[in-house]
Amino acid sequence: MKPMLHYLRVTWQIFRKDIRVEWRGRQGVPVMLVFALLVVFLFNFALQLSPNLQAGLAAGLLWVALAFASTLGLNRSISLERESSALDGLLLVPVDRSAIYFGKALSNFTFTTLVALVLLPILSLFYQQNMFHLPLVLVILLGVGAYTGLGTLLAALSIQSRTRDVLLPILLYPLALPILIASVEASRGILAGQPLGELQSWIYLLLAADILFSAAGLMFFETILEE
Amino acid sequence: MHKKPSLLSILDILSILLFTAVLILILFFTPTELTMGPVQKVFYFHVASAWGGMLSFILAAAAGIGYLVTRKVRWDWLSLSSVEVGLVFGLIAILSGMIWAQPIWNTWWVWDPRLTTTAIMEIIYLAYFILRSGLDTPETRARLGAVYVIVSVITVPLTFFSIRLFRTIHPVVIATGGDGGSAFNMTPRMLLAFIASLVVFTLILADLVWHRYRLAQLQNTIEEEVN
Repeated sequence: MKPMLHYLRVTWQIFRKDIRVEWRGRQGVPVMLVFALLVVFLFNFALQLSPNLQAGLAAGLLWVALAFASTLGLNRSISLERESSALDGLLLVPVDRSAIYFGKALSNFTFTTLVALVLLPILSLFYQQNMFHLPLVLVILLGVGAYTGLGTLLAALSIQSRTRDVLLPILLYPLALPILIASVEASRGILAGQPLGELQSWIYLLLAADILFSAAGLMFFETILEE
Repeated sequence: MHKKPSLLSILDILSILLFTAVLILILFFTPTELTMGPVQKVFYFHVASAWGGMLSFILAAAAGIGYLVTRKVRWDWLSLSSVEVGLVFGLIAILSGMIWAQPIWNTWWVWDPRLTTTAIMEIIYLAYFILRSGLDTPETRARLGAVYVIVSVITVPLTFFSIRLFRTIHPVVIATGGDGGSAFNMTPRMLLAFIASLVVFTLILADLVWHRYRLAQLQNTIEEEVN
């Protein structure tokens, strides 16, 4: 039981450290939020969206903005450690390195979820429909969890390349496609007032993605950071 | 230094002969499909190359596992070779599919699960080369490449499944369960040519991967001599 406790404590401390860095610097979440809003604005004019948006379009807008904004946070969360060789310090912690993965994934998940929670009322205001549904929040938690879970893994991978930050979207977007499809479809259904039972398969797909990518992080993070 | 294995030479000749044979089989032996006409004959090579692409991506992931377990660079050569050949097979599948779709569906492209999944698959494995080109040492290239091909092979079926939950118009060749209505029935001659093309394309795939593998091997030898 002891090593398990140690593992969880390392995960928790890394998560806490990330939150503290964010709280003191406030350079991550606000940037992501502004970026997400810009995406909404760009799409609004590029696609000439009407103020009375269909449920499908609103859900799509939400997830595209989240997916783009989240990339900024993911890149930052690993490059921050790289900047002052803080990563070397983390790697010295006598614990399986997947503990670092879970700490990082947890903080990335928190940041993107925060952006989503601010985005929801703004979108509701802009497009004149209440987007605050409890099931939608649940879908956001599941979808963002899978997305940032995969994203944290790929960010650690792409940071080792010479192309760095440019590489992450190229690796992440195609691999994250099933997560985005399921999230958008589930959100669309909820906004259109479909009962949750009909959206079951999407929710299960998201759950499966959550489990799958956590497992991938558990298995491969050590290998990725090896040196 | 590395003499060409005689088995590979035999495979070369066998591939060429059998490819010619199956071409003759398709052009002169199979009946012309009643409603679609001669364009239906694209089907034999189309399915065979799609199958070849899929197979080589699975092979790449298996070789990735092989690398992570043994840490022998040979496995990375195999992984790289499979991805490269798989990309070409996938491209052939998409292009030949388009040739068939234009007269039959009256459009070059539809956002159907199989088409979209194949296209995304091509992008995912193109990104594999972008990832590799940014990594400096052969060891990191092999290690991160292995992780990437394994994660990719997990998400591809997930993507397929998620788009499948929408409706599909792509013909189902091997009908499963109740949806036999959209499957078209092959005459024994068609079936023979179909299975023959699958076998021959698998042989060609093995031949090409082997050649590419040897190229990687020779490249490695030269690099070692230079250093």
